[in-house]
Order: sequence, then C-alpha cells, then structure tokens
Amino acid sequence: MSNTTEAVGEKLAEILTRYLKNNWAGTPSSKKKITASTNMVTELQLDSFQVMEFMLEVEDHFDIAVDLDSLSNIHTISDLAGVVIAAHPE
Amino acid sequence: MPLLEKFTVAGQLKSGLGHAGKDPTSVVFDKLNSATEGVVAGRVTILAGTNNYLGLTFDPACIAAGVAAMKSQGTGTTGSRMANGSYAAHGALEAELADFYQCSKAMVFSTGYAANLGVLSALLGKGDAVLLDSDAHASLYDGCRMSEADIYRFKHNDVQSLERRMARLGDRADRCLIVVEGMYSVLGDCAPLKEIVEIKERYGASLLVDEAHSLGVFGDRGCGVAEAQGVLDKVDFTVGTFSKSLGAMGGFCVSNHDVLGLFRYVSRPFMFTASPSPSVMATTREALKQLRTRPELKATLWSNARRLYSGLQDLGFELGPEVSPVIAVRCQDRETALAKWNQLLESGVYVNMMLPPATPGGASFLRCSISAAHTAEQISTIIEKFADLKDL
Repeated sequence: MSNTTEAVGEKLAEILTRYLKNNWAGTPSSKKKITASTNMVTELQLDSFQVMEFMLEVEDHFDIAVDLDSLSNIHTISDLAGVVIAAHPE
Repeated sequence: MPLLEKFTVAGQLKSGLGHAGKDPTSVVFDKLNSATEGVVAGRVTILAGTNNYLGLTFDPACIAAGVAAMKSQGTGTTGSRMANGSYAAHGALEAELADFYQCSKAMVFSTGYAANLGVLSALLGKGDAVLLDSDAHASLYDGCRMSEADIYRFKHNDVQSLERRMARLGDRADRCLIVVEGMYSVLGDCAPLKEIVEIKERYGASLLVDEAHSLGVFGDRGCGVAEAQGVLDKVDFTVGTFSKSLGAMGGFCVSNHDVLGLFRYVSRPFMFTASPSPSVMATTREALKQLRTRPELKATLWSNARRLYSGLQDLGFELGPEVSPVIAVRCQDRETALAKWNQLLESGVYVNMMLPPATPGGASFLRCSISAAHTAEQISTIIEKFADLKDL
C-alpha cells in the first residue's frame, strides 16, 4: 500500500462509493461523486451508524484495526485516511 | 441558546414520528387486562410487543410473592448495597441464579442496562481490547465505552470477521473480551456461539454473552442460547435481565471466575445505585422458580412463535432469518413502517416500531415479540391484522 494521504484517500473514496451503492442504493448520498476531499457528515450526511458500518469494510480492505473511539472526530475522507495510515502496521 | 441547540435534530425526528398518526414512542396503556391484553386509547389491544416471553407478569404466584415481600419488607431499599447493606433476598436470588447456571458466582444489578455497564466497566481497563458484534445492544456499547478499553466491532454473527480482528490483535488477544448476545433483539437471530467459543479458546481470549432475550427461551433448562448450543460452560461471563422472561426488573451476571465476587467493589453502576426493591426480588425469585418447574411455558412460547412466523411468512412478509419469539417484519421504508404500525394499533394489535439507527442495516421493522400467554385466538387475530396491511 502506498501510504500517502492522497493514495489512501482515493482508495477510501472508492470503497465508500461501493459501500453506499451496495447498501444504501436509492439514498441521495449513494448518487454523489465521492473524492478524497468529500466531507462524509456535511456533504453525504452519513450518520454514525453508516460510518461505523463503512469502517468494517475499510478495516478488512487495509487489514487494520481501528478503535471505535478513533471514529468520533472523523468528518472527511482525509481525516479517515490519517486514521488508516496511523493504524497500518507498515 | 447554544447549550440547547443540539436538541433541534431530536425535536425534528420526534415530530416526524407522528406524521402517520400516533407516535410509537408515546403509546400509553391505560389499563392492563392480562400479560397479553391492554387498553390503548379506549381500545382493547393485543400486546404483541412486550418481551414478556413466558407471560409471567400476571402469574398469581409471582404477584403473591411480590405483595407479601412488600408488606413484610417495605416498598424499597432506599440505597445501595455497599452503603446501606443487602437484604437477604438479594443474596438468595444470587445463590439461585448461580445454581440455575451451575456457576460459582452471581451478582444482581438494579437493571439489565446497569448489569452491562457494571460488568463491562469493571472487567475492562486500559490496554484491554473488546471485539463487539456490530448489532450488539446499546447497553453493551455503553458498558464498553465506560471502560478505557479499545473497542473493535466485527460484522454481525460473522465468525470470519471476528477471527480477522482477533488475529490483528496479535499478542493482545489474551487481553481481549468478545462481547455478543445470545438472541439478538431486533431480528431474533442467534449468535453462532460454538464457533465463537472455538475462536476464543484458540486465541486465549474471554467471552461475555448477553442472554437478555434468550433466558427462559432457549436451552433445555432455559439458560439461553449458550446452553442450547452446548457451550454454557465455555462462556466466561453471562449477563441477563429480569425484565423480559422473568417479568420484573433488574439484571445479573454469573460466572465461574472468582473475580466476579470482587466486581461489587469496583463496579460503579453497582455501587452507586439503589439496590432492587424487596417486591422485585420476590417476584423475580418466584418467576425463576416458575421457569425452572414449568417447561410447558417454553413449549407454548415456541408453538406460538412458530405459528405466527409461518402465518406471516405465508402472507409474503419479509421476516428475520430464524423462527424465534422475536419476529421482525421488514418494511420498505420508514414511512411505510410508521403507517403500518399505526394501522395495526388502530386495529387492536400493538407491536414495536424499530427505526434506524437502532436497527441492522438501517432498515425499518415492525417487531413482534411472542408470549407463552398468547392464546391461539390472539395469534390468529395478529395474523389477520397483518394480512389487512397488504392493502397499503
């Protein structure tokens, strides 16, 4: 894995797009274009449950463990990229 | 006023609940005729959403025990057991629970919520890890958060998801507590405890199972899902509540770990809460006795559950994955669920409304909980009223 915030952010945007399409099809957020700069709270209006469920996909993709408390201050894909990079064993 | 602005969203959500008619969070039972029948807004209503699995809330022996305890010991204990002392009934109930679960230790709490907060916050500390099923009850989340442990969720009932996360813990696995429920309260599905126990043992972790909805429902003796799956002796800590099958109020933990005896000195939700009242202790003890001596209650409960499940299935409703006394009917969206819930109530059937975010996958459900006290006629009526919903 390339551990730059930009590269991780792009991958996260891809995972989130797929997650919303598979699980929340029909909602406005599933139709929006998601990039590394997307704000999950204000732009996509994801609630805490959706963010937690999305994180299960992220953890499995990157083979990392992210503590629930680490999610409380995540708003943007970039915020999340920072958490992923910090949690990655490499 | 900035302090109060956070309630704006809650207020909007609350007002949205009443758009289809009655607000599901504001139902009042003006009168209770029995364990399965009440009066709502002047209408006799079948209660099919009470978690009163064994129907013991109106059991004559339980009522008599409660009345006698109140007359002889008063209305309340007026304080915590650590500060004000225990009543003999507290210890007696703990001994009876330990005997029932064939465990060496038992501890009683004032509510089921307090039991989960009290056990998890006492058991877990900084540096420990929790692997928590993603559909776990809020009290389990809150108990974990009350500790300083690191909390990791795994996908609901997915043993591969659990094992992947366990493996990531590396040498912290022996400081890990797996937290699951026996039967889950929204869909009525059960944890694969055999497989979970296998992972727990292979990694040297520990396991807590919340049998709140499965006590009295599963297992030959009625201990819950762990007993039904043959792994009761492999569970490190079992927690549960008196407020469902036992028809009272309160919670408990049983274990073969001696440290449970020390929890009362470190568990704040135990130490700083008034202890359960004499009447609650008495009705709970009598209900536990009824559970142990009347296996026909469980048999009737399951017979009723199977009948309602197949009746609703035949009508084409999308139900939870397993037949159980909790039968969840999936609705296409929140508005449809609210409309159907209102129609059921107006036709004299009360069920639970389950809306996101308290539901798996953000779906909306009408949740029925079945009782041993439901009559065959009541089950038929519930099915008929659901059939009418097809017209919506």
